[in-house]
Amino acid sequence: MDLRKDNGKKRDRIGVVLYLAYLVMLLASVLVIGKIAGIQLFWRQNDSIVKVLTPPVTRNVIDPARGNIIDSEGRLLAMTCPIYQFYMDCTVRKGQPEKDELEWLSQARALSAELAKVFPEKTADQYYKLIRDSRAAGKKYVKIGRPVDRNLYNRIIRFPLFEKQKYYSGMIVEREYIRKYPYGTLARRTIGFVRNNKSSEVTNNHVGIEGKFDHELHGKNGIEYFRKTDQGRIRDNDSLYVKAEDGNDLRITINIDYQEIADRALREQIEGRVDIMGATVCLMEVSTGAIRAMVNLTHNEKTGAFEETQNMVVGRKIEPGSVFKTVTLMSVLNDGYVKSLEETFPATNGHVSGTDINDQHIPDFARQHNTDKISMLDGFKISSNYVFAKLAIDNYAKKQRQFIDNIYSYKLGEAFDFDLDGLPVPTVPNKKENGMKLNDLGRLGFGYMSEETPLHILTYYNAIANKGKMMKPYLVEDIEKGGVVLKKRGPAVLNAAICSRAVADTLNRALLAVAEEGTAKWSLMGVKCSVAGKTGTSFGTFPGGGYSDANGQRKYQSTFVGYFPAEDPQYTIISTLYSYPKPHSSEVQGGGIPAKTVKSVINALYNIDPYFQPVLAKSK
Amino acid sequence: MRRRESAKTWKLADVGAFFKNSFSAILKGEFLLRLNVGRYFIHIVYTFVLLAVTIWISLMIDTTMAKVEKNKKELEELSIQNSQKTFDVVKLTKRSSVEEMLGTMGSKVKEAEKPATRLEK
Repeated sequence: MDLRKDNGKKRDRIGVVLYLAYLVMLLASVLVIGKIAGIQLFWRQNDSIVKVLTPPVTRNVIDPARGNIIDSEGRLLAMTCPIYQFYMDCTVRKGQPEKDELEWLSQARALSAELAKVFPEKTADQYYKLIRDSRAAGKKYVKIGRPVDRNLYNRIIRFPLFEKQKYYSGMIVEREYIRKYPYGTLARRTIGFVRNNKSSEVTNNHVGIEGKFDHELHGKNGIEYFRKTDQGRIRDNDSLYVKAEDGNDLRITINIDYQEIADRALREQIEGRVDIMGATVCLMEVSTGAIRAMVNLTHNEKTGAFEETQNMVVGRKIEPGSVFKTVTLMSVLNDGYVKSLEETFPATNGHVSGTDINDQHIPDFARQHNTDKISMLDGFKISSNYVFAKLAIDNYAKKQRQFIDNIYSYKLGEAFDFDLDGLPVPTVPNKKENGMKLNDLGRLGFGYMSEETPLHILTYYNAIANKGKMMKPYLVEDIEKGGVVLKKRGPAVLNAAICSRAVADTLNRALLAVAEEGTAKWSLMGVKCSVAGKTGTSFGTFPGGGYSDANGQRKYQSTFVGYFPAEDPQYTIISTLYSYPKPHSSEVQGGGIPAKTVKSVINALYNIDPYFQPVLAKSK
Repeated sequence: MRRRESAKTWKLADVGAFFKNSFSAILKGEFLLRLNVGRYFIHIVYTFVLLAVTIWISLMIDTTMAKVEKNKKELEELSIQNSQKTFDVVKLTKRSSVEEMLGTMGSKVKEAEKPATRLEK
């Protein structure tokens, strides 16, 4: 009975304890429920507290990877790589015990010695003084050296002090992606660039292929949001995420081997000369119009070096001089006014009646050949202004418009669509005008009164090489992504027939004669394959419109344009030279440096171009 | 008798009695037992587990995302190394660079002086 009573008391005690615990929990739950209801119904948030307590979500714009530019053989011409700029927070660990401070400074001295090796613009002592003084002055952002590539970055981060943690070394690194060109300055103006520096005074920020095809190369930006967690900064999946779309690659027609050959050939001819303002070479494939090399060298007056700073092939129009005589010859052949190159003109004093045109070559020719006649072919070979002024005046004096229309039909009067910006409209006498003075008509016949770019002249000669079919010059072969062609561009025809095949053959004979017996004979001697081409030299105009400056000095513009091999043309090439003041040398004429440059290019290409490689047949 | 019971209507006093009974049941700790909530115990446990798993997966996602970010940085570093190496290698393929290197190495190999002969395929 007592035992049962004891058990009962014990159970009661446990029951009371449990009951009390239950009551406490019950009270707590009532409080919690009450609080929840209070929060739901009456509580208003304090924005400043919310701001502090809410994990911040940061917006990040994802930069797409810019597309590469590759040459016709698949070699990288332009790519994106990072550069690194080092800075130093010189105040780190400042105020530490003297022993530690001395240790830090000794490491800074060792760092300075290494920095002097990679950035020799300052000595080790100067670097150490910079760090020590900046530490004393409390500077937190001291620039060290200049921007470096990844290789040098890898070396520098292993230097004494910098190899330590950033809170000990104070090292700060800023990374920036830039465009890099593995082939250096080769075709730099053709490849071009996109300049982001808005503070620059230069307004043209989109240059060359990089500029014109920026919309393809750039890609599309992406957006992502980040939030902070205990694990670090991670992408917030509850927020918007737009994937960046990388830019497309461009395969261009330039063959970097040919570009280097052309660049070297031109430099060999002009380097060290102060009378040359600039020079160009452009190589085009006959059957397609693909530009295989485009060299533009401009003389830098400060450094004396020749640099790719201006695209003269595309952007500089000049009076072409005698290379335009082929246009006159094609015109009269096309119109049937001349049937044969053997037709003759009187060769007396070289004066064209009704004009002030005089040609000293004619009396010289008459004397040398003991004749009073000159054939059209001979006139072309010696590049006689008399012959071509007479051709123009005799045949078009009363049909000037026909001559001008012919020039337009050869695409020498329009700026056709091209893969680079800046191709100007050539200057040709007004199409509607039929009242040109005889003097001007004669001058038009031998290459004045009109202004053409080297690209226009090249395209025109390429059409002769292509038997009258004029191909549109182009630079961008296709647009690719990861090696897959997205958009195929390629050859296009500008004019299916600017002349008949017979006229093209006749012109070929005349151009071959110029290279073998005429004005380009000496410069092209020893060329490894047959060349057909024409030399041309003209005076450049000054801002006032005259042909000489205040001191009577003249500008010379000389050109050689031709194609090779003459019997089965594969490439058309033009080389133009701009010189001022006029040197006392025939070197700056079309048959001089330009023709020699062309010869060097042809000889080098001959050794490596597959077309010229003989095929060894299988033995049976 | 049965008809009389079914016709029984609720009065305001019944509501008061309901609250009084409920309150006394809460105080005695019998409220849930009287509602017979024990029938749904497994569902309650299931919901609890579900919530716990959701929180746990969310934390795992955060961990994975943190790893993704870390790997992205490593990939970016490798990509940079790759582009730098590509740049260095491509630079060496320039004809003049090759010629210079051959010269430095003492090689007699020069630029071709005549076209190579191709074998018929």
